[in-house]
Amino acid sequence: MVEKQSTPLEKAARLLDLVPYISTHQGVALSELAAEFGVSESELLSDLNTLWMCGLPGYTPLELIDLEFESGFVSIRNAEILQKVRLLTKDELVILLIGLDLLIRSIDPKRVDLLHAITGLQAKIKSIIGDIATIAPIVNSSYRATILNAIASRKNLQISYQSLIRDELTDREVTPIELMVDHGYEVLQAYCHSVGAYRTFRLDSIAEISISGFQQPLTVSPQDDQAFQMQINISKRIRSTLERFRIAVSSDAASRSESFTAFSFSQDWLIRSAMSTLAAAEVLSPISSRLELARKCRKTLDLYESALFGNIS
Amino acid sequence: MRDVAGLRKVHTVSRKTERLVNLTIALLATKRYLTKSEIFRTVDGYEGTPESKERMFERDKDDLRNLGIVIEVGSFDPLFEDESGYRIKPENYQFQLGELDSKDIALLSLAAEAWRGAALDSSALSALVKLHAIGIETDAESLPDLAPAIISKDVNLAVAISAITSRTVISFTYVSEALHEESRVLEPYAVASRYGHWYLFGMDLDRKDLRSFRLDRIQGALATKGRSGNYEIPQNFSVESHLLETRSQQIAELYLRSGRALALRTRSTDIFDKKAPPGWERVSIEFRDQERMAEEILWYGEDAVVLKPASLRTSVIESLHSGVVRYG
Repeated sequence: MVEKQSTPLEKAARLLDLVPYISTHQGVALSELAAEFGVSESELLSDLNTLWMCGLPGYTPLELIDLEFESGFVSIRNAEILQKVRLLTKDELVILLIGLDLLIRSIDPKRVDLLHAITGLQAKIKSIIGDIATIAPIVNSSYRATILNAIASRKNLQISYQSLIRDELTDREVTPIELMVDHGYEVLQAYCHSVGAYRTFRLDSIAEISISGFQQPLTVSPQDDQAFQMQINISKRIRSTLERFRIAVSSDAASRSESFTAFSFSQDWLIRSAMSTLAAAEVLSPISSRLELARKCRKTLDLYESALFGNIS
Repeated sequence: MRDVAGLRKVHTVSRKTERLVNLTIALLATKRYLTKSEIFRTVDGYEGTPESKERMFERDKDDLRNLGIVIEVGSFDPLFEDESGYRIKPENYQFQLGELDSKDIALLSLAAEAWRGAALDSSALSALVKLHAIGIETDAESLPDLAPAIISKDVNLAVAISAITSRTVISFTYVSEALHEESRVLEPYAVASRYGHWYLFGMDLDRKDLRSFRLDRIQGALATKGRSGNYEIPQNFSVESHLLETRSQQIAELYLRSGRALALRTRSTDIFDKKAPPGWERVSIEFRDQERMAEEILWYGEDAVVLKPASLRTSVIESLHSGVVRYG
């Protein structure tokens, strides 16, 4: 494997951070140190060899940083000047600020100690960089932890799932396969024992989750997530409509044509998407979808025209 | 003893790295300002003609600044216009979040872990290294089991954050609703993630107004324009309060069929059961964008009927009419 070469600047940053780290972890194993800094052992050895040549002006052994690492364990002396942990860069402060936002919205409100600590840290960071970054997560971090635990320990999950497509809340026992990102949303691929088939669950639609029993080996293979398709013509709100049908948005899409193909594992999802975008998109095929849409439009319109809902009160 | 011949080889490869570290050490250790000539004479690695040393030094200063290291420029005697000198004040070099306990370190480490494998993986790694270097055992057991994760791998998110923190103007191509490419030039102020999408806020220099952009609608890469520090973010700007101001302004009233339209129902602010026909509930829901709200209502077909506002009701009915005509 070809290693990615660090730039001289990246290497310098690492050397400056190695000194305080080794100072507080005297005798740390080379392998552990390499893992902590995300580099290979050979890159780390090159770092240590360079660091060894650094020191105060004069550069006699008296002024040079003294490192010992031949034994496979690293210790450092004569590096007082660089011993202080380096300040966090502004970019690092931004990612910490955002990361803390994720935590604060997933912690049980009863853990006042933690919430207090987080707001304290966020206030400190904002006083340095300003109020310039925020996230309202759509997935609870403790749910993600539960899923990862279940996958690692080969256990099943009990979930309460609010399906946007079927518009219902159901309790299901699932065998988790993996966490993935699908069209920008985090999803869990799992075998659903309630329906006896593989299903994809959006993490932001899981209302409750807990670990249940051990898994049984699965014998069924996953389904095709492009099982259904629909041909559509888009006349306005092209960008939003493409986004709704999860068709990749790019400006050259416009020059190609106004006709697009949408794919899904769910016929129902395609129909609902077409209902949503009645004002902007026309379904060309399949004919069965056009008939279904006609039926839905008529039924809904009947409601608006009925005595019950006809008059605005 | 040190293997001098072996080290020579490494030496040439890492010359620049070594010079940067040596310069940092020299400027940190000094109690007074060091002049350029002192630096060239004493710090290892400055070689060649005076001009090339000069160029090297300028580049090195920029590089250290990019690592967040602040080099002070000053002179020995303020009364005389003598040669200026350089130093790094230890208080500007070291970790700036003050005293932290093991709980703080555990929380910050978890916050950084959220970015593993995401757009700012390398910043996450360097932040973690610094947090661990403090040498306080992290108290992970005291935390609940959480796995925070940022899933965006969008390189533009990292570029936007760097541009914000360094106050660098950016330009990019934005895809309009009609799929037209629009060029934008922006003084970026902030990033925010809402409803699973990342947004970029800033002063649009052509439109002379504060604008927001959804990051995944930016075509291609963000480009930086000009030097860093070219503008200021207004003192009173706060992304949180900006988001609050631009939130929902309208309220819709709807009938929802009992047990249906679940996602709409969870967004509702009020439920008045008594005013609805049997089998239905009447709810009110805040919204901002009428077209989007109409789409959301239509998603639920015959399980949601909108009453107010009249313009929203009319647009839903019009869509349904056109559907009946088109498909019927």
